[in-house]
Order: sequence, then structure tokens, then C-alpha cells
Amino acid sequence: MIGNYFKTTLRSLLKNRAYSFLNIAGLATGIACASLIFLWVQDELTFNHNFEKRNNLYTIYENQTYDGKMSTFIATPGPMAKALKMEIPEIKAIARTAGSDQLLFSLDEKAITEDGSYADPEIFSMLKLSFINGDISNVFKELHSVVINATMAKKFFGTADAVGKTLKINNEQEYTVTGVFNDLPKNSTFQFQWLAPIANIDHKFPWMQEWGANWAHTYVELIPSANVTGVNKKLQHYLTSKNSGTKTECFLFGMNDWNLHNNFTNGKMDGGRIEYVRLFSIIGFIILIIACINFMNLSTARSEKRAKEVGVRKVMGAGKGKLIAQFIGEAIVMSFIAVFIAVGFIYITLPAFNNLVQKELFIDVFEPVHLIYLLLIGAVTGLLAGSYPAFYLSSFNPITVLKSMKLPAGAGFIREGLVVIQFSISIILIVSTIIIYQQIQHVKNRDLGYNKSNLIYVTTQGKLTDHFENVYQQLKQSRVVENASLSDFPVIQVWKNTDNYSWTGKAPTQNPLISFENVSPQFVRTMGMKLASGRDFYTNSTLDSNSVIINEAMAKQMGKQGRVGGIIRDVGKKEFEIAGIVKDFLYNDMYAVSTPLVLYNKIIGTNVLSIRIKSNVNLSEALAKIGAVMKVNNPAYPFEYKFMDDDFDRLFKTEALTGKLAGVFASLAILISCLGLFGLAAYTAERRIKEIGIRKVLGASVAGLTGLLSKDFLKLVGISCLIAFPIAWWALSKWLQNYQYRITVNWMVFAAAGILAMLIALATVSFQAIKAALSNPVNSLRNE
Amino acid sequence: MLSLQHISKYYQVSGLKNFVLNDLSLEIDEGEFVSIMGPSGSGKSSLLNIIGMLDEPSEGYHYFAGQAVHQLKEKQRSALYKQYVGFVFQAYHLIDELTVYENIETPLIYQDFKGSERKAMVADILDRFNIVGKKDLFPAQLSGGQQQLVGIARALIAKPKLLLADEPTGNLNSKQGEEIMELFRKLNKEDGVTIIQVTHSEKNAEYGSRIINLLDGKIESSKQL
Repeated sequence: MIGNYFKTTLRSLLKNRAYSFLNIAGLATGIACASLIFLWVQDELTFNHNFEKRNNLYTIYENQTYDGKMSTFIATPGPMAKALKMEIPEIKAIARTAGSDQLLFSLDEKAITEDGSYADPEIFSMLKLSFINGDISNVFKELHSVVINATMAKKFFGTADAVGKTLKINNEQEYTVTGVFNDLPKNSTFQFQWLAPIANIDHKFPWMQEWGANWAHTYVELIPSANVTGVNKKLQHYLTSKNSGTKTECFLFGMNDWNLHNNFTNGKMDGGRIEYVRLFSIIGFIILIIACINFMNLSTARSEKRAKEVGVRKVMGAGKGKLIAQFIGEAIVMSFIAVFIAVGFIYITLPAFNNLVQKELFIDVFEPVHLIYLLLIGAVTGLLAGSYPAFYLSSFNPITVLKSMKLPAGAGFIREGLVVIQFSISIILIVSTIIIYQQIQHVKNRDLGYNKSNLIYVTTQGKLTDHFENVYQQLKQSRVVENASLSDFPVIQVWKNTDNYSWTGKAPTQNPLISFENVSPQFVRTMGMKLASGRDFYTNSTLDSNSVIINEAMAKQMGKQGRVGGIIRDVGKKEFEIAGIVKDFLYNDMYAVSTPLVLYNKIIGTNVLSIRIKSNVNLSEALAKIGAVMKVNNPAYPFEYKFMDDDFDRLFKTEALTGKLAGVFASLAILISCLGLFGLAAYTAERRIKEIGIRKVLGASVAGLTGLLSKDFLKLVGISCLIAFPIAWWALSKWLQNYQYRITVNWMVFAAAGILAMLIALATVSFQAIKAALSNPVNSLRNE
Repeated sequence: MLSLQHISKYYQVSGLKNFVLNDLSLEIDEGEFVSIMGPSGSGKSSLLNIIGMLDEPSEGYHYFAGQAVHQLKEKQRSALYKQYVGFVFQAYHLIDELTVYENIETPLIYQDFKGSERKAMVADILDRFNIVGKKDLFPAQLSGGQQQLVGIARALIAKPKLLLADEPTGNLNSKQGEEIMELFRKLNKEDGVTIIQVTHSEKNAEYGSRIINLLDGKIESSKQL
């Protein structure tokens, strides 16, 4: 029996090529699209799954309170790890890393900047890092030892054994490679290429020993039986016992939440990437449903042609159950053909998709998870898509269909309903795409308070800072550089902050978090910032060591003292005079308003050299000239520069991705919907061919007939608009709430989306309508 | 074999009953070959559909092979139908996507015959109807007469006791029609299949053993040949 169905299905597919194409293409596109999304979701959900102990691993986070609001930070005091290990028995192991560093590694002529961290050796067992080479228990025995990953080992030593060889770090100190570990997978939080003993930092920076400075990341492995709530309770006020007067609280942040729940609002976990995972999963299912709806629509629309078969089979004794089984079976056969084609689509589009989402997703049909998924999606799609047509078709009364070939009314309404659902979803996606795009553009075009174009920056290494004056003169002499300055950070970020400033009139309850940064005197001019009042720094910074420039937000905080000539005191009660007030500029959060900031005219510790290139010079020539200057002054270091606008764009990665994906999905949803609409229009035209013939004989024009046939479909799109607009408005307003600096939703967007959907639908339908209207009435009427 | 008593079939159109069959009673014995005639709209096809249990009468009693059909449930009726009745249509109604062989085999599938049995039965009937050579062709590749032959073979494959034919020669030329009628006569005489056919043709009607004339849903006359 199944063989019989299979044969009928295949022959009927081959016989109705256009219909089969529309149906399978729609389904395959839907499945491919949903599968790509699910691959992405799988990747996000299995983040950090390479770490066996992930259920017992935690980071210690701090909740710091400023102006009554809690902010969450990953940095913790250096001495904390050792103390905790002794005081909390539930802690099986604890390790620190000193953030993440880009250091220059060199071997003879070869010099490459690599990401990595200084860390405690406990990290190896906690992460169960797999070593290719080296004695894991001894790798950090020597202070100047380093472990590197396989890729890095290959870069420097090729196929030779790296262990025992030396690499120079930052052109200062030789480190011996004591181990080589396997590369960490891309979907893990840790992406270090190298690790070196944290003792190097402990020695170098005194603040690593202070309870008041937050410098290290502290990772904890609990014993499996530990009570996490209990440990959290011990941690909550732990810092107060070491550093009385601090209100900062600590808590454990589990590794399983690192990727998806990394957002904190007022000290509590509050969403994060999980929201995007949810959103995209929903979109994946929606696309699948749109494709299934298409299938249902096309199948029922074609039912007129199959009615006879149903009648004959019923007369020959087929029960309803057997017919339902047959039609669902057919749908499943088609959906598996679609799955097969979809796998091809996925293989073809995966590189582009990976590029879009910046991941290394892969599909392997022989991997059990993927195989089961494909089988499942084939079966589910077939069932879902085939169910309604199966019940509908099998319900035909054989006498009616065999005699008059006319179908019972009723299915038309459901079909129209399904089209409305498809177009509603499509319109929602179109509106979303436009609004997300508008929001990104809105923020990108925002007045940043500085000019980000033609601006590059270099992370300086070695002694360059010491003879900056010299470098500055040479850069200026190159005639391609307009200005240059040193600062702690690239201008779009400032990561040093404190609440320890004071001024006359500061209320005891007032403790805002204030960012501060050391800059060279050219900073404000190089960035193209504007002074609201006062003066810029003196070029001779020694004359200006007691002056600061603050931003307007800081001036506002300081009240009466927030003026040129006002006095501000740092933690050591040292007084600084406000020389100038710079207009607010944006850093860290492009969606928010500026937070208070203090700039010092000091170059100690600064390691970012920003260079403004003249706008009228050839860029590559300019870069070559700058590179030459850098080479002379910093011979051992490669000239590695970054463009500020690239960095700026990177801040919108998630939003841009959401926007792009919404765009891609909107196009696909429209495409699939149009395939269905096309089929439906063909069906309607066929059904009304006699009416068209009669009208033509009576003198109707082609244009009039086209309008007549298209009108009903446009009505459906109109209804879709009515359904889609409120939903889109609600969802997008909610999304925009996430951003302080945001657009207001404009009704024009809805009008545009509605008109776009109408036009696309019209183009799809009118093809069939015109074809029908042009047909010769003699042919259509003769058959009756 | 079957008995219809006071059968009526009507459609309600804006409160008025529109009678297709009006208080009709009819007995048919096993082995008969009955021709039903009458003008268009006299209820011939409706009568045939009710006899074949494809349709239900609005009123009346219907007995078939000793069972009260009007009291049976859908499932039982369908089982009875499968066991006893074969149907032949004016428009052949073969499934276009299936070959001659597969078309004939289909009823057996629905009656849960085993694969090997089906093979034997289809081979047998192909042989009897002299269409072995056409078994792998599709309906569209056959002439009307050949298609109807396949239609009849399909109706007979499960060895029904009753063959119902709704204008079986309506779409055929006279020579093809004659062949089909000869076949019916042979089936009736040699195999003892009870046949009820609806026809417009006097000549074809005379192949039967009884002619029933319908008019406005009632039996106008009945003539034993």
C-alpha cells in the first residue's frame, strides 16, 4: 500500500511540475532557513559545553552601588582568591586571571600580537585544559614560563616541538614555553591563545595586593555537593570584612549562564543573549510555519484536480482513514524531498551565514544530533503541512465530486485566513527590519562629541610613551597627520572609574561613578571635541599637572563647583583645578547619555596612540608614512593599527546582526508567502476561467478583469496590515525601551511596509490575473 | 438480493422539498440484469447511488443481502459495500497517475488482500479482458473503449455480486459500446453477476433482463424481457 502511495505521489509530482516546484521550493527554503537559525541556537545553547566541570564553575562578580543604583562588574581584588580558598570550604579550587591582554610575542624576526592572560595554574585543572605537550602539574613552576595553544605554536615553531623553546614578550623578557594546549572551541567564553603565571603581574603592580582595587577576574570551582545559596550568602558581605566601609557585594555567576544571561540590572541577572536566542528560535518556527501554510494552501487549492481521485478511491472502498494516511504520507514524502534539497541549500549558504553571524557553524548529516533533527523536521513539517489538506481532501463526498467536479465551499475561507497569517508575519518582519535599521542609523548618526572618521589608533608597546614628544613631531612632519595624542583607552571607551572624588558641596548621599583617564595635551583637539568653557590643556604638561578637564555631565554633578576654576579632590585629597569643560561626548554605551568624566593632563600609563589623518591625503600613502615613523621609534614592534569607525561599528554588532537577520528573514518570509500567493492566484484564475470568458464576451477589458481578479488578494493583504500593525508597534516599542537614546516609531514606516507588501502581492497576483484576462474566451467556454 | 421500500430522496430548497426520488419501491433478485432508463433528471443516477450505498435516502427502507442498510452505521455499510458492489462510470474515472495494472489493483489494496494474492488476481483479470499488453500504460494512453474496459476490470477485480454501471457506454462510439454490452451480458450469464445499469440507449437497455423506466423520481413502467 505504501509503495502504491509513493508511486502516486512521485508521478503526481512529476506530472504537475510547476505546482511541485512551488510547493517543494517553498518548503525547502523554509526548512533551510529554520535549520540555519537552529544551528545558531544550538551553538549558543552549547556555549562552554567543552568544559566538563561547567556545572561547578563560577566567576565572582561584584555589585557596586553608586547613587543608590547597583552596577555589576567582573573585576575583583587581587588577594581575594587566596583568602577565599582558605575561608570557604566549599571552594574546591580557585584561580585568577588578570583580564585579557594583547601582548607582543617575538621569535627572531617574527613578531605577532596574541590574546591571552596571566593566570593562576589552578585554571588548568578547573578548565581541564587538554595539553598536547608539557607536564601539566609543572608548567608554571618558573616565573617566566608560558603555555600556548596549538595554533600559536604552529605560527612560531611550525611542526617542531615548542616545549622548551623561548619567546620574547613585549621585547622585554624571554619566556620559556612549557606546554602546548589544544585550541579552545570558538563557542567558549575563554579565547586565550596563551597563559602565563599571574605572579608576573603580582610582582609588577602593587595594586594586585590591594583589597580596594579591582583588577583580577576570580574563577571558582565548587565541590559538587556545595550549596550555592550558602556560598553566596558567605560572599555577599565578604568584602566588607576585608575593606570596611565598602558596600560592594559579591556573588557567584555560574558558567552555564555566562553566555546567555550576562545582563545585569540593578545587581540582578536580567536576560542577555538568551533574549536573542528566544527571538530567533521563534522566528525559526514562524518561518517553518509560513512554509507549512504555503504547502497547505497550495495543496488545498489544487484539490479540485485531486477530487476525482478521492472520489474514485472512495468508490473503490477506501475509508477516510486510509485516505488521510495517503495524503499525509504524500506530504511527508514531499517534505523529505524538501529536507534533502534544504540540506543542499544549507551547505551552500552556511559560509555566508557564518560570515553574517560571525561563527563557525557546521552541519554534518552523519552526526546523530543533526541526523535526528533532519528526520524530525521532515516528519514534523510533513505532518503539519499535510494534516489540513489530508482532512480536507478525504472529507469529499464521492458522488458530488465525481458528478459535478465541484467542491464543497468552506476551504476558501481557511485558505484566505492562512494567507492573512503569512502576510501579517511578513509585514511584522518588514516593519521590524526598517525600525531596527532606523534605530541603528539614528545612533550611528548621533553627534558623538568627537569626529570618528580618519582616526586610527595604535596600542603602544615598549618605551614609545617615554619619547612621545619626539614621535609627535615626526608624525606632524610627515605632513599626513593632522594631530595625534596618547590616552589610556581608545576614545569610544573609558574603563577606569571610581566614586572617590570629592568637592565642596558634595552631598553625603551623592556617590556617582566617575570615569577618569590620563591623556596627552593634544587629546581634545585630536578628537575634535569642543570645549563648552575654559581652556584646553597646555602643551607642556608639567605646567598643567594640577589641572583637569571635565565633561558637562561631571560639571552638572558638581553643582556650584562645576565651573572653570572649580576645585576637585581625588582619593588622596589632592586638589585639582578645573581648566576647561568639554562638551559631553559618548563612550562605552552609545545608547545612553554621557556619564561624568575627568581627564588628566598626564601620559603616565597611557598606551593608546590615536592619530588623526588629514582628510585630503591618500589613505594608504598616509598609513605607509605613519608606519615608517612608528618603525623608527618602535623598531621591534609591528605597526598594527585600527580604525576608530570600525571599532564604532563593532559596538553595534548585535543590533546590526539582528537587523540583518530580520531583513533576511523578512525577505524569505515574503518570498515564501509569494510562492503560495502565486499558486493561489493561479488556482483562482483557473476556477473563474468561465466567468472571465463570459465577461470578456460581454465586453470587459483586460485591465478591468485584472483588477477584478487582483482585488480580492489585495483585500487580504489589507486585513494582514490591520493585524500586523498593532503587533509590530507593540513589539518594537518594547524593543526600543532597551535604549535610552532611541527613535520614536513613525507611522510612515507602517505605511511603507503596508504599501510594500501590497505591491509585492500585486506583482505576484497580477501575473496570473493578466494571463487569465488575456485568455481566449472561446477556449474557456467550449469546455462547459 | 436487494429491496427498496418507499424510498424518497429530496433536497430542501428555501423550505420546499425538491424530490429527486419520490416514494419508490423496487426489488431486484440475484442474477438479474436490470436497465434503468428515463429522461434527464428523472432520478436514475440517484437511484443507482442509493442502491450502491454511496448515498443515503431521505426516507424509506433499504435491504441489501438480507441486511437493513438504513440501520447500519457508516463503517458497516462501507464493509458491506466493499464486499458486494462494483461501480462503473460513464467517464471511466481511472486514476491518471496509476498504470492500468495499478488502477485495477487499487480496490484489492483497500480490501487488504495480500501482495501475492493481488498479483494473481490482477493477472487473471488482465488475461480475461485481453489487456495484458496494456498493463503498464497510463489511462491517457488508452482509447475510451479501452479505458472503460479497465474501469470494468477494476470494478470486477474483487469479485462483487452486484455491478452498478452509470451510463457505461455514454462516452463511447457505438462499436465500443456494443463490445461493452456483450461483456456485460457474458458476465451476467456466465459468472452470475447481478448488473444494474443506467442508460439512455434503448438498444443497450435491451441487453438486460428487465427495463425500468423512471419519470420524476417514480417508476413509470417496468418491463420484463
